Amino acid sequence: MSLEIDCQLQRDKFNLEVHLTVAPGSVLAITGENGSGKTSTLDMIAGLLACTTGKISLNDRVFDDSTTNQFVQPEKRGVSTVFQGGGLFSHMTVEKNMIFGRGAAFRNTPRFDSAVEQFNLTGLLSRKPSTLSGGQRQRVALARAFLAPSEILLLDEPTTSLDATSRDEVRGAMKTFFETYNGVVVLVSHDAAEIAELATSVAQITISRGENTAAVLRN
Amino acid sequence: MKRSLSAPSGLWLVALPAAAIVIVPVLAVFWRTDWSSFLTLISNETSRTALVLSLRTSLVATSLALVFGTPLAWLLANRDFKFKSLVRAFCVLPMVLPPVVGGVALLYAFGRRGLVGARLDEWFGIQLAFTETAAILAQFFVAAPFFILVMEAAFDQVDRRIVGTARTFGAGPWRTFATVTLGLVRPSLLAALVLTWARALGEFGATIAFAGNTAGRTQTVPLAVYSQLESGGDDALALSTLMMIVSLGVLIALRGRWVSALRRGGQ
Repeated sequence: MSLEIDCQLQRDKFNLEVHLTVAPGSVLAITGENGSGKTSTLDMIAGLLACTTGKISLNDRVFDDSTTNQFVQPEKRGVSTVFQGGGLFSHMTVEKNMIFGRGAAFRNTPRFDSAVEQFNLTGLLSRKPSTLSGGQRQRVALARAFLAPSEILLLDEPTTSLDATSRDEVRGAMKTFFETYNGVVVLVSHDAAEIAELATSVAQITISRGENTAAVLRN
Repeated sequence: MKRSLSAPSGLWLVALPAAAIVIVPVLAVFWRTDWSSFLTLISNETSRTALVLSLRTSLVATSLALVFGTPLAWLLANRDFKFKSLVRAFCVLPMVLPPVVGGVALLYAFGRRGLVGARLDEWFGIQLAFTETAAILAQFFVAAPFFILVMEAAFDQVDRRIVGTARTFGAGPWRTFATVTLGLVRPSLLAALVLTWARALGEFGATIAFAGNTAGRTQTVPLAVYSQLESGGDDALALSTLMMIVSLGVLIALRGRWVSALRRGGQ
């Protein structure tokens, strides 16, 4: 019972091959140089990209299968994401971002209140993302992912471009998040210290550049 | 002396006529306007009828641009399809076409003996030419390209990852469009609507060719100005002043936003 990925993504002159198995409760870190396909891997899990060939499944649910032509839309996959820069909706307040897709009543639940406290967002709820610091934005993004009902959590370089203080804050927030999360976590990161602190296993993308670039990711 | 990098000397002297040729006519209209009779003139029977008609037709034309232009602009910005550049070229064509030629084209398309118009008449007994509907279609023809162009640029600016994020958080494609994409393009959408409406309001050439110049039915404000000018009335000037005020108001309200939207779209 786990997230299983066996697939290929072909773009002109770029071929990415991914073979991963991630069990619930574990945190897989993905590393690799820029442009090697880390974000594309997350996109295929989330359903923002379809595999060219191969299969992605979570437990017995097939998300993507090129042989049977199955493809589950992202909103049906139970995935929550913290993309680069947080991926916040800039026209909504922090609060609206956090309850996105949940209905206004969700704001008055104890779960919402505890997320506000856990991610240290008191006093920021009515602000727009553009008025927040990078670290605050990431904490909002984490809180939103925390509140969404999900079985898979995808994080794309959540602490890149943050200063040291914010990085520690966001890392601390991730740590407490992961402790209570019982889904699958896939974390893209460049940072060895972060990986050592948060991940339970690591997979590195190996890349061979020639006329065509071939990238392989397996664990 | 101001401490700054020097520009080529004499540039102001050459640049001034370009500004003057636009500014002087605007000032001239305001200068000649008899403000004591302004309200009386713009509220006489002909002017009032034209104003009401113009307001109604331009608002309908703008709404049509909103309803049909938004999906088209989104598709142009987000999907690759066959003949896309051709479709885009045709969408923008009315911006470079003399409007009166557009009116002639509309006549050959939807006129009583036109390509589509003949069938409409034969099968449904519908005649479009020289009706208020024709005036609306003429306005849509010349104004919709502004809406489509500005909105395509706006949709193109929307970060695909933000839209993707909304999908992963459980919003389907329609809800994502309504709550995230539209929210992000809202400032451009307002600019596009105002710009489109202003262009529809000022439409003359296509209207007079396709809809004619019938008071109360197809005589919009620009056509009324033209007719009144020919008969030498003061109301032409009053209506011109009013249109000038509306146009300046639009530009001040937009503060150059549409220019930047078009510039982004051109890249």
